[in-house]
Order: sequence, then C-alpha cells, then structure tokens
Amino acid sequence: MTLHRRDFLKIAGAGLAASLLAKPAFSATRSKPHVVVVGAGFGGATCAKYLRLWDPNIQVTLIEPNDKFYSCPMSNWVIGGLRNMDDLTKSYEHLPGYGIKMVKDTAIGVDADWRVVTTRRGKKIAYDRLVLAPGIEFMTDLVEGYAEGEAAGKVLHAWKAGPQTLALRKQLEAMPDGGVFVIASPPPPGRCVSGPYERASLVAHYFKQHKPRSKIIMLDGHIDVVSKGPMFKAAWKQFYPGMIEHRPNNQVVKVDHKTMVVTSEFEDVKADVINIVPKQRAGDICAQAGVRADSAGVWCPVNGATFESPTVPFVHVLGDSVATNMPKSAHVSNNQAKICAAALVELFNGREPDPYPVIGSTSYSATSDHTAGPIAVVMRHDPEKGTYVRQPGGGASPEGDEINFEYNKAWFEHIWADTLG
Amino acid sequence: MNMKRREAVVAAILWLATGVAGAAGPAPTCLISGKEKPASVCAAHTKTISATCFICHGPNGKSVAAIPGLAGQDKDYLVTAMREFRDGKRESTVMQKYALGYTDSEYEAIAAFFAAIK
Ligand SMILES: Cc1cc2nc3c(=O)[nH]c(=O)nc-3n(C[C@H](O)[C@H](O)[C@H](O)COP(=O)(O)OP(=O)(O)OC[C@H]3O[C@@H](n4cnc5c(N)ncnc54)[C@H](O)[C@@H]3O)c2cc1C
Ligand code: HEC
Repeated sequence: MTLHRRDFLKIAGAGLAASLLAKPAFSATRSKPHVVVVGAGFGGATCAKYLRLWDPNIQVTLIEPNDKFYSCPMSNWVIGGLRNMDDLTKSYEHLPGYGIKMVKDTAIGVDADWRVVTTRRGKKIAYDRLVLAPGIEFMTDLVEGYAEGEAAGKVLHAWKAGPQTLALRKQLEAMPDGGVFVIASPPPPGRCVSGPYERASLVAHYFKQHKPRSKIIMLDGHIDVVSKGPMFKAAWKQFYPGMIEHRPNNQVVKVDHKTMVVTSEFEDVKADVINIVPKQRAGDICAQAGVRADSAGVWCPVNGATFESPTVPFVHVLGDSVATNMPKSAHVSNNQAKICAAALVELFNGREPDPYPVIGSTSYSATSDHTAGPIAVVMRHDPEKGTYVRQPGGGASPEGDEINFEYNKAWFEHIWADTLG
Repeated sequence: MNMKRREAVVAAILWLATGVAGAAGPAPTCLISGKEKPASVCAAHTKTISATCFICHGPNGKSVAAIPGLAGQDKDYLVTAMREFRDGKRESTVMQKYALGYTDSEYEAIAAFFAAIK
C-alpha cells in the first residue's frame, strides 16, 4: 500500500473522505456505482466494455499507460515474418464510445480499506469495486545475467508484444545462415504454454526459406512439448526436419550476453540470437493490493464465480494474473472478464451472481505459413469444489491443417473486435 | 474502524438483497445445475455462456471472417447443429469439443439468444 490513510486525508480533505465513506450507501440506493479497471488488455478491456454493455448504470474507469494495444496473439507470426507489426497493433479508440472513461496512466498503489487507487501521475481514484488485469511481470532475477543482457539488447523475451517483438524479428533477419537461435521457456505455469512451440515453428519456417543451414535449440522448462505435442512434433518432422532440437526439462539459469552463451541446469549452449522467456508472476499492482497471495506469492487466488479476491473484498482479478488451473491465454482472459462483468452487474443490483459459470478455452497455434491447429476445452465452475472442472471431450488436434489456419485468422479478428472493437 | 466499515457494507448489501426480494413478492425461480435459483441467475448464466461463443463467432455472433456467424440464425437450426456436433453426426474441428461441454438446456438458451439478434 503506497497511500496511507493519513496522507490521503491530507491530500483529499474531508469532503472526498466523507463521500468515500458514503460509497456503500451510493450502491445500495442504486445511484451510479463506480468500477475501476486496471489494464486494458484481453481481460481488462473486455471487462470494461461488457460492464457498460450489460449495465449502463455502472460507471467504468479504465487505467492503461499505453496509447495502443500490441497483441501477443499473432506476435509469433510477426517474428516468423508472416505478418508485420501494424497487423497486431490495435487502437483503443472505440472504448470511450461505450462510455468507458480511459485514464492514460499506471496504477501504482491500492488502499483496499479506503478503496482508492493511486496512479503514477498522482491521481487518486475511488472505486466501489476494483478489477485488476495487469497481465504478467517477469522474474528476471531468476536467470543470472538476464537483466544485463536485456539492457544490452542481446537477450529478449518478446513475451509482451511490442518493441521486443520487432527487435527479435530484426535479430533473426540479421543472423547469418548457419546461426543458432536459442529459445528458452520456463516451467509452468506461465503465459501461453503453446507459444514457444509456435514460435519455434514459425522461425523454422523463416529459416527454411532464407537461412536453411540454421538451427533452433529449445531449452524447455516443461517435461515435453506439453501443449499440442503431437501436432508440433509432426509439423517439425514434416516441414523442418533436423532444424528444431527440443530439449525438455532444461531450465535456463544463466546467460552471458558478451559470450552469447546460455546456461541451463545441464549444459552451455552458444547462440547467435537469444530468446529467453523468464518465469512470470501477476503484475506488481496485484502485490500492492495484497491479492498476489497464493502460497508462492506469485499469482492471485479468486472466487471463480465473481473473480473477487477471497481475502481483499471488492478487489477482483482477471486474466494471466489469476491463480488457476485454466491456461493463461487471451481466450480465457476474455471469458473470465465477461464472467466477472456479469457478476458485478448482479452484485450491484442486489442479486446473486451465477455460481455455475462456464469458460471455454481455446488457442490456435500456427505450425507453418498455411497450417494451424486448435485446442478446445470447456471448464465449468463447481462452487463446492471452489474450482473450474474440465469437461470430458476436450483436447488438441493431432495435426495442423489449412482450414484451421483460416479459423485461426478468424479467431484473431473476432477476439480483437470483441475486446477492443 | 476498517472492519466496522466492511461490516456496514455487507449489511447494506444484505439489506438491498432482501429489500428487492421483498418488494417483488415471491421471485420467479429457475433450475440450474440441479438447484433452484432466482430466475435472474439463469438469465445471467445464459448471457455469459452465449458470450463465450463471441470470441470465435464474432461479437454477438456477427462474423466478419471464416468462422460462420450465429446472429439471427433459426433457433431450431442452432440447437440441431449443437446436438449433431456433440453426437459426431456433423463433422467439426472444434465444435464437438465445445458441444460436449454444454447441456441440452444450455443449447436451447444459447440458440434463443442468437436467434433473437438482428
Ligand atoms: C507469443 C505469444 C502468443 C500468444 N498467443 C495467444 C493466442 O494465440 N491465443 C491466446 O488465447 N492467447 C495467446 N497468448 C496469451 C495472451 O497474450 C495472454 O494470455 C493475454 O494477453 C492475457 O491477458 P491479460 O488481460 O491478463 O493481460 P494483457 O493482455 O497483457 O494486458 C495487461 C494490460 O495491463 C496493462 N497494465 C499492467 N500493469 C498496469 C498498471 N499498473 N496500471 C495500468 N495498466 C497496467 C498493460 O499495459 C497491458 O495493456 C500469447 C502470448 C504470447 C506471449
Ligand atoms: C474456438 C472457436 C469456437 C468457439 C469458442 C465456438 N465455436 Fe462454433 N464453430 C467454430 C468453428 C470453427 C465452426 C465450424 C465447424 C467446426 O469446424 O468446428 C463452428 C460452427 C458452429 C455452428 C454451425 C454454424 C452453421 O452455420 O452451421 C454452430 C451452431 C456453432 N458453431 C455454435 C457455437 C456456440 C453456441 C458456441 C458457444 C457455446 C460456439 N459455437 C463456440 C468455432 C468456435
């Protein structure tokens, strides 16, 4: 908590403090309740939009520092040369049209007792309910030398889309034929399990055309190709024989950007281009709010029907930051956002939220410039177990194909439209 | 002080909940997951399960791409499609996996939702 009550009183004066104390009464008398959403990504933007669509009586403020949204979905297509940055850069211009108040700023503190969010520019914004959807932050200190390598521009994660996506693409373009691209992924759970395998596939697609003597070494913190394994393995054999070496159970511990050596628990690998995805945790603002409260202190437990923190009332968490058995994907974040929005509408109107929400989880991955495949799983909330339960019948396609490449493109268009359009 | 404030909030919410129920008389109910619930719970459920389809089929089921739209489709057509996907009578890439995750009554509710969209 960065905002102490004393400071707050000093700054805000008695008037605002009194109005804050009166907040619960506001909601109860059904004047306009105020939801503050932090982060305009797949979780936050969707939640803000659907709150306004489903109950125009709710006031919504959406805090986001970026001018534009860079989509991680499709970013591997850019790294592999199938698309360019413009294709994944999306505007926030439609959101104010829903009556969402956009605040271009970063939330840096939460006082959960007084229900006030503080921003970097010194704003104090009072809420009836707070929705935190900041995505992930990287635990770079777990890889020795990572910070130095990143500062030198020699070690990239490209696991948040934006400048690093383009930088990685540029490095691959500059790499000589016969070079080695090392991509390292952390043990679970983290953002987009299938992402590293899709990235390896699409970089291999690029190498095959332009640098056929090059190699891709995957140092994988997972025990196997854990997502869509048969599909990726079949594609690697068919399209890129001998080009991708997948080394499972091989977590990176150190990197030296001067010698360009990546060190795992088992080996040293010399690289020309280094892409290390560090372990992740929920965005810092979750820690400030006291909700990054799972046993390891990295993710945020929530009530599955409302996405409210079980320990900090009136604070809800969405998307990758949530401690859950659901995959950390844009698809899931968008779905969670709608469930949270619907629950908030019910709560503000004095009704019981649905205890049995259902979430669909799909991700498409491309295996080449014309093939892709999906995984699809339906999960239903079980309030007695306090968790989402995977329904039988779900799973991944055993191989990529052309029709799913078309559906993958449709998925991009529709999730962007649903989240930001 | 903080705890007191929180209790006050909870009390206010409870008061509101009872207030609303009291004003409306015996509220209409519905059955969900084998439990009797206020009808509003089922309405909220239908709203969010239908919205899970938007990500692939387009917001409100209005498609601009290769995955077919659902908006304004005939209700029976939609229910039949879901049953056929589930039973493997109709070929699909993902829809069998989705259809298996929902119930017959959910097919009906979702189909009514999309059929009503102009
Ligand atoms: C390479 C790659 C490919 C992927 N492909 C897919 C895919 O094909 N399908 C799929 O479903 N998922 C995919 N994902 C996963 C997907 O991108 C994430 O799961 C998703 O973005 C999570 O949504 P979110 O809302 O939690 O976070 P984000 O979308 O990251 O949004 C978080 C937002 O919060 C903002 N923010 C953070 N902190 C603050 C703060 N303190 N104050 C204000 N704003 C803040 C950030 O600027 C950001 O805009 C992929 C990920 C990667 C890395
Ligand atoms: C992951 C993407 C995805 C999601 C989510 C999804 N669908 Fe589909 N849907 C498809 C695709 C792709 C097809 C084409 C058939 C196939 O290959 O599965 C389709 C086809 C259909 C059809 C047949 C349409 C026609 O014109 O004949 C119906 C009906 C349908 N879906 C209903 C739904 C409903 C209802 C939901 C939500 C519960 C849903 N879908 C969620 C991807 C999706």
